[in-house]
Amino acid sequence: MSHVPPHVPYELTGAELRDAVVQYATNPIYLDHDDWENDDNPYRRQLRPQILPHLDLEAVPGRENILNYPSLAVQRLLTCIYEADLVFFPKSGIEGREADFNAFYSPSNRALGERVRPALERYGFGFLDAEVETSGKWTAESLHSYLDSLVPDTAAEEGSPAEQAIRGSADPARAARMWLAQFAPDFLSEASPMIRNVLGYYGAPQSEWFKIIIDEFGYGVHRTKHSTLFENTLESAGLKSDVHRYWQYYLNSSLLLNNYFHYLGKNHELFFRYAGALYYTESSLVDFCRRADRLLREVFDGAVDTTYFTEHVHIDTHHGRMAREKIIEPLVAAHGEGVIPEIVRGIEEYRVLLEVADADFSAQIAWMDDQPELKKLHDPVYEGVRLGRVDAPVAHIVEPRGELSNTHCHDGDELCHIVSGTMRFESGLGSSLTLRDGEGVVIKRNRLHGANIESDECVYEIHSVGDYRKCLS
Amino acid sequence: MPVVTFSVSGAGNCVVIDDAPFVYATVDRRGFVMLARCPHRGGPLHLSTPTADGAYLVCPWHERRTSVARLRAQIPAVRRGDRVAAVIPDAALPGAAPDAPASDGSVSLEYRPLSPALARPRATV
Repeated sequence: MSHVPPHVPYELTGAELRDAVVQYATNPIYLDHDDWENDDNPYRRQLRPQILPHLDLEAVPGRENILNYPSLAVQRLLTCIYEADLVFFPKSGIEGREADFNAFYSPSNRALGERVRPALERYGFGFLDAEVETSGKWTAESLHSYLDSLVPDTAAEEGSPAEQAIRGSADPARAARMWLAQFAPDFLSEASPMIRNVLGYYGAPQSEWFKIIIDEFGYGVHRTKHSTLFENTLESAGLKSDVHRYWQYYLNSSLLLNNYFHYLGKNHELFFRYAGALYYTESSLVDFCRRADRLLREVFDGAVDTTYFTEHVHIDTHHGRMAREKIIEPLVAAHGEGVIPEIVRGIEEYRVLLEVADADFSAQIAWMDDQPELKKLHDPVYEGVRLGRVDAPVAHIVEPRGELSNTHCHDGDELCHIVSGTMRFESGLGSSLTLRDGEGVVIKRNRLHGANIESDECVYEIHSVGDYRKCLS
Repeated sequence: MPVVTFSVSGAGNCVVIDDAPFVYATVDRRGFVMLARCPHRGGPLHLSTPTADGAYLVCPWHERRTSVARLRAQIPAVRRGDRVAAVIPDAALPGAAPDAPASDGSVSLEYRPLSPALARPRATV
């Protein structure tokens, strides 16, 4: 036999990875936007490529750092990469957007995305390796007992932390709109990640899984397709329903949750994990959707279309059962009990992500509600900085009218101080402050925000204080 | 099969079912749930020390060795963060022995200190 060189698995690291990420994200469709919302253009997604050369995307963050900016950047990148497999058209047609359409679906964009995807997935989802660990010899019987024991964390009547945050918000309607916007990446292309699992051939469970997809797609009747139902919900709540209009308002964890299913669906070695996550999603959605229906009707005084949620209360009762009896159990029977740890892992990983998303969303609503207080807090914190209570690096920035800092977050608290001019400080959908000479705001760690300059020129400072409380006496 | 959820460390790190204590232990950075009782004379296996190769736990009472591979396989479990859910096979419960008294079905949470070698290492990320 002739000499065969050893196989070297593909891996991209170091400067090569950084350069490849930057090459992908400098596609013109990913550059900064001069508006907060994308207007009926599903190909335009802001990736802030100018920041990417400065990020370390190799050292996998632990759960405590999963909401830091590099993770948000990675989840935004992954969303673009995964969604190049899906078909999106503007509601008003592609006329006038042909260049963006071609740029998004071009072989170059797709190949550049695939080149960095494994490294970004390791960065984005690697923390789950430490968060979830299976052990012991699982049997069909122990799996049965375990599944029986699962009570969704959010089954309690008071609802999840995110739902409580909406009810307790100073502006529940604004909070509910922010909440609905978080679902848009998932619900407007609902079941697309799942469809990745019904390609190929693997016997009866494949057909059973397809039945769930048929339900999600409304049996070919467009007005009953789940994404259509969600469009109706968005519009009835005063939001627009074009794809990724609210891209800049997506929280890190909202993208993380949605990308998780693409990650499992794109990498078929994780197929069994997807089956577990599917079961937990479908069975927990029944209670969730029942509460969501009630919450939205309460917040919008009944003037909201909640059919999306009431439909799921009904159909997911079936889907939970189908996922267990028609997919998971036959898969275990066909492939042996060795696949069970992966199924269990998928369930528990999804539960971790739900916890992360609940905490992230609740913190964002509190951040939006607290804006007037955080503006007042500027004065004592700025005084602390001036007196040298912390050693905070400072960036001196001069920007012209209309300069829009696309949304982002920081890995520590920062203080924004306006020297001269006027800035609109954006802290969420429908949430902003106007800051003038001598004013400012405390920017909390990990909270999504952006800024727009509303005077001919704005001179301002960003003090990286780390923990703003250290600036107070 | 009872499914119990408990903490992997600190208060409530031991679930006691029918007088049988179960804890989450870590050997070679891989965790598992085990009966914290030596099969020899009932010594405190949670205070045992692994052999240098990590293949056995050595009970502090009579230095009896118990196979880690066997312990790992015994109880299916999944840890999420700092809590673990374990499906306790009937065979791992005291009531499974032919001369055992009937199960009273009691389940309680307790604290059992773990030997440093079995405690879950802190995340280093």
